[in-house]
Amino acid sequence: MQSLSIISVNIWQILISFANLAILTWIIKKFLFKPVKKVLDSRRENIDSAYARADAAEAEAEEHRLNYAAAMAAAKQTTDQMISEAAREAERRGNEIENEARDRAQEIRRQAEADAQLEKKKAEEEMKREIADISAQLTGKLLEREVKPEDHRGLIDSFLQEL
Amino acid sequence: MTEKERGRDAHFRMVDGLLIALMVLPLVCCIVLKVLFTPESEGVDISGAMIYFTAPFPGQELIITESQVNSWAIILTLLGLCLYLTHGLTEKAETKRQLIAEWIVEKCEGLVNANMGERYAGYEYLIAAIMGLSALSSLSCLIGLFSPTGDVNVTAGWAILVFALVTYTKLQGGFLNYLKGFTEPIPLFTPMNFISEFSLPVSMAFRHYGNVMSGAVISALIGTALRGLSKMILGWIPVIGNIPLLQIGLPAILSIYFDVFSGLMQAYIFAMLTMLNVSGSFPQEAWEKRQEKKAIRKQRAALAKA
Repeated sequence: MQSLSIISVNIWQILISFANLAILTWIIKKFLFKPVKKVLDSRRENIDSAYARADAAEAEAEEHRLNYAAAMAAAKQTTDQMISEAAREAERRGNEIENEARDRAQEIRRQAEADAQLEKKKAEEEMKREIADISAQLTGKLLEREVKPEDHRGLIDSFLQEL
Repeated sequence: MTEKERGRDAHFRMVDGLLIALMVLPLVCCIVLKVLFTPESEGVDISGAMIYFTAPFPGQELIITESQVNSWAIILTLLGLCLYLTHGLTEKAETKRQLIAEWIVEKCEGLVNANMGERYAGYEYLIAAIMGLSALSSLSCLIGLFSPTGDVNVTAGWAILVFALVTYTKLQGGFLNYLKGFTEPIPLFTPMNFISEFSLPVSMAFRHYGNVMSGAVISALIGTALRGLSKMILGWIPVIGNIPLLQIGLPAILSIYFDVFSGLMQAYIFAMLTMLNVSGSFPQEAWEKRQEKKAIRKQRAALAKA
């Protein structure tokens, strides 16, 4: 079989080589770059969307957290208010009870004092009458005659008044 | 694994096998063809590609040689490789071949972006094709084939394609600007500019061809010399003497430099020169200036209309 000499220029061979490179460029574009780029693009899209979703989820979680914190703060305020109200109420009730008790005690004391006063007066009256009786009897005995107590009552009264 | 999945798996493997066959068979055919056609020869045999077929064509005879056939085989192999690498792509990149495919694509993109800039993004296909074709062509001598890059016609075809792209890019600035470019910096330089313009494809073609061919020539010379040497030293031993034992070793080491290293280097250099020449033919500033001019003209047209 014949060989070409080591340098020989043939226009058709050059043309074939030119076409070969052009065809291979097309092949590489069509069968290597396009599918790989498609996959890379869709992967990038997926990653972007995943990031977007993660961001959205994070924002949502943050919102939930804030809502929760706000709710907690509100609940705490309510309980604080309730507790202070209850404390105030208890204090008020305690004071009320105390005052009532004091009033009752004073009333009882007043009553007791009035009773005592009345008793004393009664006793005094009693005593006066005793004294009058006794003095009438004594006077009767002294005078050896019946002295009408009605006569002497006025006398003794005036005497007692002078005491 | 369900019956359906297994069926799909078997189908996937079958397609894989076919694609691998598409990668390997063209090269095997080339080897068979070469073995069938190579004449028995003694002594130093340094010549170009073997001629398989000739036909009369207008102007010059159409000659189909080893380099054309091997180029086609390599293109088929690359087609098979592309299909194999992109077979079963998924978004999660589960297979090694997908990683390789993505690596190739991203590297080519990065290279073109770094050397040419964003506005030449479309050149990444050409750069990938040049690198793949040139590297595989140079490496094909490892399996005993004639390197298509060792034929000046092949590299000349590529260089002319590059030259056409350079000229096309220059013409983007307008035909008059293109002509004016030859008279710079002073009209006296015009002939020199013409020479430098047309020396580009010639230098690119001969650089690549010369490097690969010289490696092949040196390898052939050393191989022949070692065969002679082994005949001289070991020829007296009955059976072993007929085997060129000294050919073992040294040619393999030389082949690592001349075939593998030099071949890959030239592929890279050719791609690099392509990028630099194309992007340098219409620099960024000139392009921006032109865009500005276009915008102003458009504005003026809009104003005139109003």
